[in-house]
Amino acid sequence: MEYVDSLTGFRLDGRRPNDMRQIRGEIGVVAKADGSALFEMGNTKVIAAVYGPREVQNKGQQINNQALVRCEYSMANFSTGDRTRRPKGDRRSTEISLVIRQTMEACILVHLMPRSQIDIFVQVLQADGGTRSACINAATLALADAGIPMRDLVTSCSAGYLSSTPLLDLNYVEDSAGGPDVTVGILAKTDKVTLLQMDSKLPIDIFENVMQLAIEGCKAIAQYIREVLLENTKLLESRKGL
Amino acid sequence: MAAATSTAFGGGETGGGGLAAGEMEVEAYRRLFPLAFYERHLRDSVRPDARPLHRARDTSIALGPVASADGSALVKIGDTTMLAAIKLEVMTPATDAPDEGSLAIEFYMPPICSPTVRPGRPAEVAPVISKQLSDTIISSQMINLKELSLVSGKASWMSYLDIYCLNADGALFDAALLSAIAAFSHLQIPLVSLNDDGKVITVSEELLEGKPSVELVNKEKRKLPLQRIPFSLTCLLHEKYILADPTAEEESVMETFVTVVLDSLGQLVSIYKPGGAVLARRSTVKECIRLTKQRIDELKNILDESASAMEVA
Repeated sequence: MEYVDSLTGFRLDGRRPNDMRQIRGEIGVVAKADGSALFEMGNTKVIAAVYGPREVQNKGQQINNQALVRCEYSMANFSTGDRTRRPKGDRRSTEISLVIRQTMEACILVHLMPRSQIDIFVQVLQADGGTRSACINAATLALADAGIPMRDLVTSCSAGYLSSTPLLDLNYVEDSAGGPDVTVGILAKTDKVTLLQMDSKLPIDIFENVMQLAIEGCKAIAQYIREVLLENTKLLESRKGL
Repeated sequence: MAAATSTAFGGGETGGGGLAAGEMEVEAYRRLFPLAFYERHLRDSVRPDARPLHRARDTSIALGPVASADGSALVKIGDTTMLAAIKLEVMTPATDAPDEGSLAIEFYMPPICSPTVRPGRPAEVAPVISKQLSDTIISSQMINLKELSLVSGKASWMSYLDIYCLNADGALFDAALLSAIAAFSHLQIPLVSLNDDGKVITVSEELLEGKPSVELVNKEKRKLPLQRIPFSLTCLLHEKYILADPTAEEESVMETFVTVVLDSLGQLVSIYKPGGAVLARRSTVKECIRLTKQRIDELKNILDESASAMEVA
């Protein structure tokens, strides 16, 4: 199957190889949460809610000099093409929960909030490839909305290599093509990589190109997230009458 | 929510837990003496969010937010948000009901919806509401299961309705029921045909154009006809006051509630009053039914508006 048309260079959904899908982020969607955000990347829609810092529920897990970060990832039954009944603790959800937790833990200043707990919950409403990245981006927005101190914004994007072309931000069809899928998460300003996952096979020099492309995508998302947060701050300022 | 103005709240009331002299900020009073805070409002027939006792919160319905589902709806009553989506699958009908399809209704409260729901400690009310919804929708006979049949004895539709609470701020059952109805009103039954193995498979529109010889089991995409749609209203009872459409804070302070479900013809489908400290007199129950009737007119309008908004778009 031709993932990149040889004549026009367009992908299956009409994008160019370096084009990301349309992104949209909104803060404060869950009123009761300390921080929440809705993040869309194309057809992938994800809601993240952050509760904390609050008291640790399980005293046995309390850490005396830093905060405990917990994360739970779940997909709605109708989020994918076929409705599947997902058991809560299935392997894929547990793995992604762990990945998101460790990625966010790297950037939250946990030493400022000892003996407390920060909960990050992510719910996938619609899945069309790149759910991991959308979840991390939504979690960053939600943490910022909750006012939790962070080192930097963490953004994530995926890239692949099909029909001999590096492609940015794979959707579900491209992801299931069996080619390599590289997901990168970076700290935007300091340009450090916190998450890097790849499957399938890639020659090393091509891998470098694909990873660089994904990092470009992450930076673009970071720019957008900054704009959303700035808009939100201006709105808060005007509400407070400043 | 009340504005964060720190006006002093004079004490000196026995109902306020013996606050003798001195003043206190409104928010502190609200947290420390919630019942007294509410009673002061109820005496003036108003609630902290400035609603009169019998008014429900602003309700909105958006149809079709989940593009991958066969029918979906997002409903907000105040801050309470519910997302309902229906997926249809072909199955073989039961031998004792060869001409009927079936419904499976489930309600979930993921941890994002409320600070009290945590992984490992699911919300207590979630399975209760799940069962209530299932019973109400099936017993109201809104959906004629015969409409879900495809080929008698061989194939019929199993419709899975999943409702997710995205924000829990009181009156969960009302919002969930409304989202279920809105999703069913948005539902479009896809086209199916028999393939070579004699199995029924769904056919997408693009496939149809290429193969004129595909035999369709049902001739056109259609909507499910709904009769006798059930609508509900939950009311809190406290002493002699009836509060319609409570928020989560009100529900935590005054625990006795009544949920009345009426159908679009004004007939009673169900009354649910699961115990509680306040014992309701007959007149109270009649008043709740009357309030529900009023609410139904509002809800019918909102549902019709959202349906016509879909057609314009």
